[in-house]
Amino acid sequence: MPLVDIQNLHVSFPQHEGLVQAVRGMSLAIEPGESVGIVGESGSGKSVTCMAALRLLRQPPSRITADRLILDGVDMLKASRNDLARVRGKVASMVFQDPMSAFDPVFTIGHQIVETIRAHTDASLSTAKEQAVALLDRVRIKSPVSILNSYPHQLSGGMLQRAMIAMALSCRPKILFADEPTTALDVTIQAQILVLIKELQAELGMGLVMVTHDLGVVAETVDRVVVMYGGRVMEEGPVQAIFDDPRHPYTRALLNSIPGRTPGKQRLTEIAGQSPNPVNPPSGCPFHPRCAVALPDCATTAPATRPIGPGRAAACWGLQ
Amino acid sequence: MTAPVLELRNLSKTFQLPRKGGWFAGYIDHHAVRDVSLTLPRNTILGLVGESGSGKSTTGLMTMRLMEPTSGRILIDGADISALTPAALKPYRRQMQIVFQDSYSALDPMMTLARIVAEPLHIHGIGTPDDQTEQALAMLDRVGLHRSYGQRYPHELSGGQRQRVAIARALILRPKVLVADEPTSALDVSVKAQIINLLLDLQQEMGLSILFISHDLSVVRSLTDRVAVMFNGRIVETAATETIFSDARHPYTQGLLSAIPVLNPRDRRPRRFLTAEEIERGIPRLPGAGTSPALVQVAPDHLVEAVAG
Amino acid sequence: MLRYIIGRLLSILLTFFVVSVIVFLMMHSVPGGPFDGNDMPVSDAVKAKLNASLGLDKPLYEQYLRYMWGVLHFDFGVPFQSPGETVTELLARAWPPSLILGGSGVLIGAPLGILMGMAAAMRRNTWFDYVVSAFSTLGLTIPVFVISMMLIMVFSVWLNWLPAGGWEKPYSWILPITAYAAVPMATYARYTRSAMLDVMNKPFVTVLRAKGLSERRIIFQHVLRNAALPLVTVFLPMFIGTATGSIFVEAMFRVPGLGAYFVSSITLRDYPLEMSLILMITMMFCVAYLISDIVYALLNPRIRFGGKS
Repeated sequence: MPLVDIQNLHVSFPQHEGLVQAVRGMSLAIEPGESVGIVGESGSGKSVTCMAALRLLRQPPSRITADRLILDGVDMLKASRNDLARVRGKVASMVFQDPMSAFDPVFTIGHQIVETIRAHTDASLSTAKEQAVALLDRVRIKSPVSILNSYPHQLSGGMLQRAMIAMALSCRPKILFADEPTTALDVTIQAQILVLIKELQAELGMGLVMVTHDLGVVAETVDRVVVMYGGRVMEEGPVQAIFDDPRHPYTRALLNSIPGRTPGKQRLTEIAGQSPNPVNPPSGCPFHPRCAVALPDCATTAPATRPIGPGRAAACWGLQ
Repeated sequence: MTAPVLELRNLSKTFQLPRKGGWFAGYIDHHAVRDVSLTLPRNTILGLVGESGSGKSTTGLMTMRLMEPTSGRILIDGADISALTPAALKPYRRQMQIVFQDSYSALDPMMTLARIVAEPLHIHGIGTPDDQTEQALAMLDRVGLHRSYGQRYPHELSGGQRQRVAIARALILRPKVLVADEPTSALDVSVKAQIINLLLDLQQEMGLSILFISHDLSVVRSLTDRVAVMFNGRIVETAATETIFSDARHPYTQGLLSAIPVLNPRDRRPRRFLTAEEIERGIPRLPGAGTSPALVQVAPDHLVEAVAG
Repeated sequence: MLRYIIGRLLSILLTFFVVSVIVFLMMHSVPGGPFDGNDMPVSDAVKAKLNASLGLDKPLYEQYLRYMWGVLHFDFGVPFQSPGETVTELLARAWPPSLILGGSGVLIGAPLGILMGMAAAMRRNTWFDYVVSAFSTLGLTIPVFVISMMLIMVFSVWLNWLPAGGWEKPYSWILPITAYAAVPMATYARYTRSAMLDVMNKPFVTVLRAKGLSERRIIFQHVLRNAALPLVTVFLPMFIGTATGSIFVEAMFRVPGLGAYFVSSITLRDYPLEMSLILMITMMFCVAYLISDIVYALLNPRIRFGGKS
């Protein structure tokens, strides 16, 4: 049984301009210990999918429906508040994009790690503190005790991101959702944090969902890739296969538009046009207005995700 | 030989930060930019690369005289503008423009796009109001926004479109120099490529020279002719862009390069990270270098910070 | 911290001095004197004699110094309008009712308002939230004497449960205190609601939820503590402002408090009483701000420990 089993997830929420259809029929299955990258541009629905999986969106105003939304056997759609609190942090943890705003400014880092441990176990205060020190040590923080007694504003972004990872891993979750964990960080710090996440994932044997807009991050860290666009899955498959032989026109265009792939000052292959309007998404395949090889069908009916090879699937009329 | 379109000579900026420990503890000097010298030849793009705190944005602001340098000189077409009064500076303002990362806060939300783009013409009193609007619409069209966008407001646009408007406004005066401070950092991949292409096209067409400030070496590789790498307020290496990628000499440049995520999972590799102290200790030792770190020529057109050793 | 407090105490002394000089000058710059009223026709000779007996014939600076010298020895003089007692005795007589009225009003109204605001924030956009909002808007917009009148109509005239005025029996305190509590309650309900919502929309609250903390713990330990920061800065000053009583409520319910003396000390040119009342309030506000700033600093590690190390 997969650890994460999401079938036909829809998420929408009202905004100034109208009802935002953030996710429109997303399915995702993750086995224990597997690492999956969800790639997409802003508005593709990748972050919202994670937030919905942990039921972290306020309902109302958000509306979440799915045929299945199961984390480690717990039906997240039917779960009570207490059930949710037991799953979050214990079964599934999350690391967020901006470490600077992820900690409560009036408590020490130590306090916030310790309260996480104590929310899920009956560890005594002193045991929890020892565990917190060990965790900070594990995320390669040099002087764990002094960091433990620091307040968030006293630490750098990179240090805080390490602390957030330590906090997320404090109860040995079976799966970690990392939502753009390095986007707010400097290049060299980003590389260090990616290495750290990869190492810890292997060490703890946990599942990993790496949400990112950066194909480089995906190429560095995960086994399998899910490409999202306009709230839907465009293509998914093993990471090497996706990079070697992208099949969906959007995946291909995305890979081609990465700067710096070849030496020399030169124009890039850009994807003309704009991301779809989430309030009023295009009919049919969300990518068809920008797609170079669109067929007549593409504008009317959205293609279903179909297998296109070993472990691979894509939603494209041109591939069926 | 004609003078480069932009030249920075020994530019420095020191901020005084209050020292900890009370009222009379005084200030400590924070050297945000130290002794930076750069030349931007006509019709080229120079990448100024570094991480947060390296002093690259401060350098950009000083170049525009949006921040006063502590010392050093700024030359536009050979003319020293570092000591000009605001009134004397005004004609030079036409020749240099800046684009920022966050175009949303840089655009007046109460103005239509046509007015935003026409405003520099208005400020410099160029043309009749009708002329100004016409030029603005043509410029919008040039950056890829249909003329009908002229009546819209900034909040109606996506991030990439706003960045196009910011570029249109910067270029409407036909400046010689454009300072672009992380203009693509907040953009999505597909939009980033569009803006990079736009800058490349405009540079060609308008004979523009661009100081492109960025932390993103991949973007820099596709866009620039030359690169200057900044670390701790200093320039530690400058060379032609491909030389930086193929033959980086300074440990900080090497570290930056190795931090770029791979572009194919096959190239995953173990990495070693240097601390700031290790970088300072690892400064190349070259015969002929001075006792304190300074830029030394290691190949034609390739300067690296080095000390005698 | 100690340094900070000493600094603040010094600045309070300075404030105190500046306020006393300004008030003294303004008080005496108003034309007329204590014996110029039409209802007290006295001859100029008598007036001069009376003024001399009170020291009002002396130059202003001397009058000021004499008064301040007395203040330093806790001698606040004798009120002109009630020469049978000292200012200190008058305050001892008239202040307690005002203090009880204002103090209990705030002590009852503020916690109720805080509870209402919290409950409204936790149930935002439900009927309960709307009722609290409507109620707090009414509490802030209806003048307090109208509230007083409505209370008298309902509870004294129609129901005949409580006396319409007076201060002799503690149960006669109920209506004025209720009328008084309306404003602090409404103010606090608003402040608390918006402070809580502000915090609840912060990203760290999502992180707390993602860690699996119970909603109770998130609200009571994290949200409340953060929301309390802006609240403490308004609490004490507001408490002081109200602890001096309300002229309107006291007048409506015939409470023998201090309120009436604020007005009469000015209209009757009762210099000693006027000075004393204003200096007292100044001192209380200064101390209140000092205390709330200290509490704020204690709650906020960013101030307690300074910036990045």
